[in-house]
Amino acid sequence: MGESAKKGAGTVTSLAEMFPAEDAQKAVKRVQEKLAEIQNELHRVRGFISDNSNLINLVQKLPEQLHHNIIVPFGKAAFFPGRLIHTNEIMVLLGEGYYAERTSKQTVEILKRRGKVLESQVESLKAIMRDLKAETSFFDSTASEAAEGLLEITEDYVEENSTERESESGPPKEDAPNFSEAEKAKVSVEDEEYARIMSKLDELEKEELEAECGNETVEENEQVAVDDEEYARLMSRLDELEKEELEAEDEKIKDDFNKLPDQKSLDTNLRHSEGYQSRELLEQMKDKKSATEEFLSKCDPQKDLTNQLNCMGLAVQSVPEDEKSHGKSLLHNVIKSSPPEKALMLPEVKENVQPAPLSRSEVPAESSKPGFDAQKAFTGSIIERTHNTHFNSSQESATSSQSPSSQPSKPVSRFKMQRR
Amino acid sequence: MSSSTVLRELQRDFEAKSNDLSKLQKDISKNHQVRKKYTIQLGENELVLKELDILNEDANVYKLIGPVLVKQDLAEANANVRKRIEYISAELKRLDGNLQDLEEKQNSKKEAIFKLQERIQSLQAGKAKA
Repeated sequence: MGESAKKGAGTVTSLAEMFPAEDAQKAVKRVQEKLAEIQNELHRVRGFISDNSNLINLVQKLPEQLHHNIIVPFGKAAFFPGRLIHTNEIMVLLGEGYYAERTSKQTVEILKRRGKVLESQVESLKAIMRDLKAETSFFDSTASEAAEGLLEITEDYVEENSTERESESGPPKEDAPNFSEAEKAKVSVEDEEYARIMSKLDELEKEELEAECGNETVEENEQVAVDDEEYARLMSRLDELEKEELEAEDEKIKDDFNKLPDQKSLDTNLRHSEGYQSRELLEQMKDKKSATEEFLSKCDPQKDLTNQLNCMGLAVQSVPEDEKSHGKSLLHNVIKSSPPEKALMLPEVKENVQPAPLSRSEVPAESSKPGFDAQKAFTGSIIERTHNTHFNSSQESATSSQSPSSQPSKPVSRFKMQRR
Repeated sequence: MSSSTVLRELQRDFEAKSNDLSKLQKDISKNHQVRKKYTIQLGENELVLKELDILNEDANVYKLIGPVLVKQDLAEANANVRKRIEYISAELKRLDGNLQDLEEKQNSKKEAIFKLQERIQSLQAGKAKA
């Protein structure tokens, strides 16, 4: 908002300038006059209807007797007594000077048809009145608003404004549209946004890792339990993002998944993991390094944690860290394994979400590009995660280099503050 | 002093045009009235036609001509009403066309008058300065 105002895109005019109060009031008056007219018309038609129903009653009663004694008007002032005979023969004026001889019953039918026409007229008049009333209230409110000195603020919508986007479309909606945009423009403004989000995540991850490293030596299991909760909380938030992604890409990923040769040896434990991609990743790791499997089995007590984490790629990061404490050689194995994985996965990523030129260009510039992981943040493909693992575990300071746009001055991440 | 004569001419022009405009507006309102009348008649005739269609073949139908009711054949009455409806519809169409024409003329006149007004105003402003 502020930015666009700085650009001078916005204009502020008082409502009174556009719609002077007197004009609005004049309009109200005019519409009210119309309304009164319609009301009169409605009244008239209602009178017709009541006349009509009276006439129907009369015509129905006429043939009940052979003749009626009546007072016949003669001229303007004179009346004389008379007798109404032929009570069942009525000359009905159909309109336009046409008359028809009808019996009483037939006449009632004609009159009823006329009544229906009148009813429909009433309905249409009522509809018109409703419209006019709405108009009056609108003009009224406009007049009062103008009198109060309301201001009309018009501002051009700036689409590139990333902060606006973030606030407007929540994170869950962001991933899908932004990807198409990321495809269009390699390092677009959205990347910064992603970089920011990812930097937060990275910070969080780092802290997680540190915490785990430190605590593991003391009481591994307890720490894991605590971490479990923390992760669960974070993951549930991230899951929401992930799920949308997954739904969209489930099939694609499945296809890719099936392409992989070693899939059938999928660890049943890992089957619990919600994300295909994490499964995929872990599997690949397993395929390449049986050490990972060993580690995973080692981590069996933490299986639920792992599974929960698996729904995000984050799991991979924490896993290697655990491994680190257990045996650093394992970690190195995993780390070393990641680049080939990346190479292996990249074509997949290409297929899944990214246009070929983009993913290719990212390979060489991955560490320098701020938005790299951000772009792929919620793709549901593993590489980025593997990549992250690679970065985070091998050089934990990589987070800052990954996201130059992050807030390095911020000592504690939002997530961490929540935790503590 | 040529500017004042020009101004006077413009004002005369302006008056003539505004007269034309008011005439056009009168025509338009007349057109509206006639149209209203015809629409009412059309509705009435349609009602009559409906009723005539419902009537039996042997029903007696009369037409009020002046002070007397003249007996008419049902088929004849029917045909008459149909013709009348046709005529009224054609008339309505014609009136619509007329109205559009008149409104176009009115708009162009309005524009011309607006331009004239502007010219007169600018001239007057120039005069006031000089």
